[in-house]
Amino acid sequence: MAAAGYTNPLRDARDRRIPRVPDPCALVVFGVTGDLARKKLLPAVYDLANRGLLPPGFALLGFSRRDWGDADFSQLAMESAQKGARTPWRDGVWERLAASIRFVPGAFDDDEAFDTLQQTLIELEDSHGIHGNAAFYLSIPPPAFPTVLKQMQRTGLADSGDRGWRRVVVEKPFGHDLASSRDLNQLVDSVFTADDVFRIDHYLGKETVQNLLAMRFANTLFEPIWNANFVDSVQITMAEDVGIGSRAGFYDGAGAARDVLQNHLLQLLALTAMEEPVSFDADSLRIEKVKVLGAISLPSDLHAYAVRGQYEAGWLAGERAIGYLEESDVPADSTTETYAAVRLGVETRRWGGVPFYLRTGKRLPRRVTEIAVTFKRAPHLPFPVTDTQELGRNQLVVRVQPDEGVTMRFGSKVPGTAMEVRDVSMDFLYGEAFTESSPEAYERLILDVLLGDATLFPRNLEVEASWRVLDPLEAFWVGSQPERYRAGTWGPAGSDAMLRRDGRAWRRP
Amino acid sequence: MTTLWDTTGKEIVEALSAERRSTGAVAFGLVLTLVAVVDERNVRSAIDAATTASMAHPCRTLMVVRRQPEADTPRLDAEISIGGTGGPGETIVLRMWGRLALHAESVVLPLLAPDAPVVTWWHGEPPPHISHDPLGVLADRRVTDSAAAADPPAALHARAHDYRPGDTDLAWPRLTGWRSLLAAAFDACPDAAGPVTVYAERKNPSAVLLAGWLGPRLRSDVAVEDSAGPGITEVRVAAAPGAGSEVPLLSVVRTDGRTAVLSRSGQPDRTLPLPRRERGDLLAEELRRLDADQVYAEALAAAFSLTELNDRPQHRRHVWRDIAEAPSERIGEFLPGVSDVRATGGHTDPSTVEETAREMLAADRADQAKAAAAVGDTTAAP
Ligand SMILES: NC(=O)c1ccc[n+]([C@@H]2O[C@H](COP(=O)([O-])OP(=O)(O)OC[C@H]3O[C@@H](n4cnc5c(N)ncnc54)[C@H](OP(=O)(O)O)[C@@H]3O)[C@@H](O)[C@H]2O)c1
Repeated sequence: MAAAGYTNPLRDARDRRIPRVPDPCALVVFGVTGDLARKKLLPAVYDLANRGLLPPGFALLGFSRRDWGDADFSQLAMESAQKGARTPWRDGVWERLAASIRFVPGAFDDDEAFDTLQQTLIELEDSHGIHGNAAFYLSIPPPAFPTVLKQMQRTGLADSGDRGWRRVVVEKPFGHDLASSRDLNQLVDSVFTADDVFRIDHYLGKETVQNLLAMRFANTLFEPIWNANFVDSVQITMAEDVGIGSRAGFYDGAGAARDVLQNHLLQLLALTAMEEPVSFDADSLRIEKVKVLGAISLPSDLHAYAVRGQYEAGWLAGERAIGYLEESDVPADSTTETYAAVRLGVETRRWGGVPFYLRTGKRLPRRVTEIAVTFKRAPHLPFPVTDTQELGRNQLVVRVQPDEGVTMRFGSKVPGTAMEVRDVSMDFLYGEAFTESSPEAYERLILDVLLGDATLFPRNLEVEASWRVLDPLEAFWVGSQPERYRAGTWGPAGSDAMLRRDGRAWRRP
Repeated sequence: MTTLWDTTGKEIVEALSAERRSTGAVAFGLVLTLVAVVDERNVRSAIDAATTASMAHPCRTLMVVRRQPEADTPRLDAEISIGGTGGPGETIVLRMWGRLALHAESVVLPLLAPDAPVVTWWHGEPPPHISHDPLGVLADRRVTDSAAAADPPAALHARAHDYRPGDTDLAWPRLTGWRSLLAAAFDACPDAAGPVTVYAERKNPSAVLLAGWLGPRLRSDVAVEDSAGPGITEVRVAAAPGAGSEVPLLSVVRTDGRTAVLSRSGQPDRTLPLPRRERGDLLAEELRRLDADQVYAEALAAAFSLTELNDRPQHRRHVWRDIAEAPSERIGEFLPGVSDVRATGGHTDPSTVEETAREMLAADRADQAKAAAAVGDTTAAP
């Protein structure tokens, strides 16, 4: 361990070429056979290794109820990495990573297995020089959280002592309502200290989402008009073309609002609407996000401004898609929503009176996530009405995925002798969004966990503030039937009616 | 793609804007113009590198290919391509024959993307004095590659004496992997370092820079020794004298150009990826930041016992040499790295390089002082 007061003579703040590399450490993944681990986490670890962003001393530990040895896990990890990695495959990189892979078999209620895990970590301290630093990734079903956390408490795994740091990574869902999320937060915080808990919202790891902050706070062009004086309304959309697949067990009973609205959409809203943080560090950002989340208001007339839907069979992108109720393991009388739309307000001086329309759904025509800010019409148009018939409202769209970038829509003269003005869209693609090899959100987030940088992670106050928004909505929906919409359409009719009532329409993404 | 034979700069500008319109590249996120000075033999490899770099930094690339400067009649050919295989940006290959090759800037200037920064990159042998090359003088950032020179350490020596903020050499990003690894190794290494030895292939300019970077920071003597390569093969840091140990504090060994072994006393060896990188990657790293790299300047200064490179003026005054009048047998001197020059120029010896660089620096300092005085005058005026 570095002595106190030691500063590395080779590090220099002006040296922007040398990347930040975490301290020597171990990454322990619980539920390593699961979907998330195979599709995202293991490929991300390989990509980090390939980019040289893992520390000299590093170990990857898998924990799962399989009768496996290190080699079996290594095989699974290799197959996952080959399938999911963004960077080119290099045998050499893999071989070195494989040399630091360990597997500990066991179920979560198996005391012996956790003792072995603890023992393995201690051994790695010497053999791999990890200095007692470890991050635990809970890639497991939420009901298993308490068991695993208690095991870690019992064995002292969560306790860094004076050996180094111990961090835990928690995946969504962070509970299913305010009460349960509080319980979960209390439980996690009682085992780890609050600063060592990293909640993943992978949207925040995306380049464009971070770019939204750069766009707002590094420019003079946008911030002066980023308020109720100029903004007419904001639409935040997260559409998926897929159905629920095999996730019925988790999805049914939870639904679109808990699965997406509570976390991703509200986080995007927070970043769009928040005030300028005093600096770009985790605490300052959190303060602003919590403020704006706390200022969110629900419409008084929920009948008119909250819509939920459920897809029925239809055609999507040239293929037939079955309805939600026909999906395997979904009860025939399920009232779970697969689409949710709501109008929210933000009660601050900046945003008073500006509606924020949020929507999310499955089996919509295409996969797209975007934030669209629509501006007010010019207060006076010096042109004859006929000339500006086709002129809509100016719009600024942040495309989060796919085709990350920005679109601007504004009026322009139609070439020709007559003075006619119509809308043109200007698309802006920039940067590493082009490249296959640009880091995946999980890669960025895992690296940040190992570095201990919490900037891109929602803290428990934010999670609780989000549930406070959602709980009344869920209470209102209890016992109601979701509206039906055909797979392959942009959601139920009620959702369109909701905007029509306000004299607006959803943007077609 | 549009190809223009025996054309003019004006026609190229028109063809470029027609091509932009027809491919719909109207609102490109162009962030800079890259001017690449490249020899005919290397056009392909330079385009590949520029393509890789433009993936990360969409840019307009102007490839300046100088050909047969002795030819009697000047001539200009151009190939324009947007998007497609050239990456997301725009690529224009400009081939210049005859004396036009010596006035490439006249073709380049109208083609620069409006108000975007300009980076000039010499793919081959760099010019000993950038002030002699208008393509370098007009750039905000200049990237050379001393490893491509006939005598790399001499070329790096010229870079040091000729330095202005905003210059870098690809020998520097070739070190980023080494530097990252060494920095990580020293994160947990409070023991004082003793003498350092860098082993590298003969005449490796990166090794010289690495020594310049390590020496002042570790307050150690750094020796550079020859090895079989490829590139840098080992960095060995001895324990500080008096620490009572013969064992080196740490060493990093890379013999295959791909993986390194980090050994530290009292700890198990670690194997880490440390690949030699493609030119495109190096260039992409250079294009990330367009301001001066002070850490590079310090390493370069230390390597050649210079001081205060960071305080030099940003600006270079173009030193006009009327090459059009130059006798054919001396043209090679003016155009290092052009393969179809029949007569190659005489070798410039280090002391001449230093002398010329000193004169140029004095001129640029004078310009800077004049500019500062002028500003003072206007603010002082009532
Ligand atoms: N999949 C995604 O794309 C995604 C997206 C966002 C968030 N998440 C969240 O990420 C977490 C993991 O999701 P997932 O989709 O990967 O889940 P999953 O496919 O169901 O995998 C769960 C993992 O936990 C293990 N496990 C379950 N119960 C266990 C027990 N009693 N003892 C030992 N191991 C046990 C499973 O091992 P077996 O193989 O032995 O069953 C499996 O490895 C969840 O919190 C989920 O909400 C997932």
